[in-house]
Amino acid sequence: MKKMMLIATLCFVVAGLGTGWADDTIKIGLHVPLTGFAASDGKSSTFGAELAVKQINEAGGVLDKKLELVIYDDQANPSQSIPVANKLIGQDRVVVGVSGSYSGPTRSAAGVFQEAQIPYLSAYAIHPDITRAGNYVFRTSFLGEVQGRAGAKLIGEIMDKKRVIMITLKNDFGKSLAAGFKEKAADFGITIVNEYEYSMKDRQFGAIVAKVKADNPEAIYASGYYFTAGPLISELRASGVNAPVIGQEGYDGSKFIEIAGKAAEGVIITTSLDRDSKVPETANYIAEFEKLAGYPADMVSASVHTAVKIAAQAMENAKSTDPVKIRDAISRISMKASTGTIEFNALGEVQKNVQNQIVRDGKWHHHSVIDDPELLAPPEK
Amino acid sequence: MLFIELFIQGLIQGSTYAIIAVGLTLIYGLLRVLHVAHAGLFTLAAYLGVTVTNQFGSLSLGIVVATLTSGIVGVVIYRLVYEPILNKPPYVALIASIGLYIAMEELFRLIFGPFGLSFSSAPLQNVVVIFGIHLRACQIITVITNVVLLGILAWIAQKTRVGIGWRATVDDPEMSASFGIDPIRVRYLVFFVGSALAAVAGVLVALLTNLVEPTMGAVPSYKSLAIIVLGGLGNVFGTLIASLALGVIEAFGTIYIGDFLDRDAIAFAFLVVVLMIKPTGLFKSR
Repeated sequence: MKKMMLIATLCFVVAGLGTGWADDTIKIGLHVPLTGFAASDGKSSTFGAELAVKQINEAGGVLDKKLELVIYDDQANPSQSIPVANKLIGQDRVVVGVSGSYSGPTRSAAGVFQEAQIPYLSAYAIHPDITRAGNYVFRTSFLGEVQGRAGAKLIGEIMDKKRVIMITLKNDFGKSLAAGFKEKAADFGITIVNEYEYSMKDRQFGAIVAKVKADNPEAIYASGYYFTAGPLISELRASGVNAPVIGQEGYDGSKFIEIAGKAAEGVIITTSLDRDSKVPETANYIAEFEKLAGYPADMVSASVHTAVKIAAQAMENAKSTDPVKIRDAISRISMKASTGTIEFNALGEVQKNVQNQIVRDGKWHHHSVIDDPELLAPPEK
Repeated sequence: MLFIELFIQGLIQGSTYAIIAVGLTLIYGLLRVLHVAHAGLFTLAAYLGVTVTNQFGSLSLGIVVATLTSGIVGVVIYRLVYEPILNKPPYVALIASIGLYIAMEELFRLIFGPFGLSFSSAPLQNVVVIFGIHLRACQIITVITNVVLLGILAWIAQKTRVGIGWRATVDDPEMSASFGIDPIRVRYLVFFVGSALAAVAGVLVALLTNLVEPTMGAVPSYKSLAIIVLGGLGNVFGTLIASLALGVIEAFGTIYIGDFLDRDAIAFAFLVVVLMIKPTGLFKSR
């Protein structure tokens, strides 16, 4: 018992020291998958956040203090992100939390931040329930459903393809994209001939590809990440399927092109980072990211960069690090960031244009923009 | 036509399973150890294959380096991890093996980074059209390699002195030792050959997907366990048939029952059904 008391006392002392040291910096907490299957996105997220902090600190910091990032690994695992969120709030005393992770871990961490009443920004997780955790939770990217609806417009209206095959990744990302796509498909005259599902671990798609070939569609709407989409599209093209493939932000990045090689040419995605953008915030971000990370910018890193910038701007606007004031400032923010203009609705969702990008000569380039406000409207509650 | 194509795709997938699982079943047959870290050697070989090929521009050199290195690492794993705990209950070796596999996965991430590696210009991707079916050279080579390697293995086991010594050790270690066969050398040999086979599978999968990731061994690690149980533990021929059957069932399953049963779940559903009908697996275990 004595030992327990001693340990408990020590813990308090250490915790006290922790907060004591924290006074000369303002801490922002970030949870990202640094290990496990999503580790590559975790790394990009970390670079994105570090770039934002570097830029902010070089410009004088926030409220005359330096920003400090506290980063923990959540393994893209919902059961890991809860202790991580508690640690960020209780031990590190961060004033804002940022998720640079997937939907599962973000959903569970969102509840913890909401309960502690610490503002929390989800950078690129797409599940609708995240912002429903409460009024302290915001999202700086579009929902899966919104992006799925944009995909339907891209295929049915902009590209004018009507017979479509869906290849859907069986997780919340793929499922919510598919839901949005199906919701609007008929409005754009699309007939969904067939839908095939695959799991996160699949890298060989011989069977699906054989069936798609037999179906002979005009276009293929395939959800996934670069590590599934790369092999999938190589196999589609090798087997003689030449119908255009439309993907989403999960493909976004140079790694997809590296894996699929020539097969990547002509693939179009809906995403939030326009590579050919003339907007200074975006163009500057793309250049600076490559300088810091050593590889080209992607959607994930840009989204986390945006989220950290929003947090810093909100503190400046609130002239305070009080969580309640930061929350209010975030909800009223209007600011241009690397992924577009950020303004939140009552639920904490943003409405931005969807940037369609196409692979040409081994690089992502501008294809078209979807700016239909009705189609892209996020839920209000 | 679609059925033939699905069948062929199943054989290609099944061939990669077979080459991985045969090494596992050899090791189980000899030592009764479920060597989960086998899938780590599969990943190691894929990384070496891609790295060496990119560096020196020769896939052949990549394959040689990958198989030799994985073979040697397999022997080292046996010597350092399994040999000291062979007299412990079987679950001790299983736990050690799972731990080793996780450590290897993280080690690959530390050394090669989390993004995965690809061939800078993937070899054997040229498409051959046979009766209207498009196949990549690497897909055809996967099936041929499977047939040839397992054929050679069967020939060694049946016809050569080494093979006879090995089979004798599997059947009765003490008796074969009294006839002058060194059981330790047999174990080294089995680990070397089994691991080298996993290495070949690793390079083949790298060619098929053009993506090598730290976690690429995760699915083979447990699926090959299902396969060797199906094939009758320790039975090489049974493993081959179980692998190909599973590949084909998965190919059809993905298309026709994929909506409610995951591709990876099919392996285990198949396993449950077979074990209910025939508890020893499809074939007699050795």
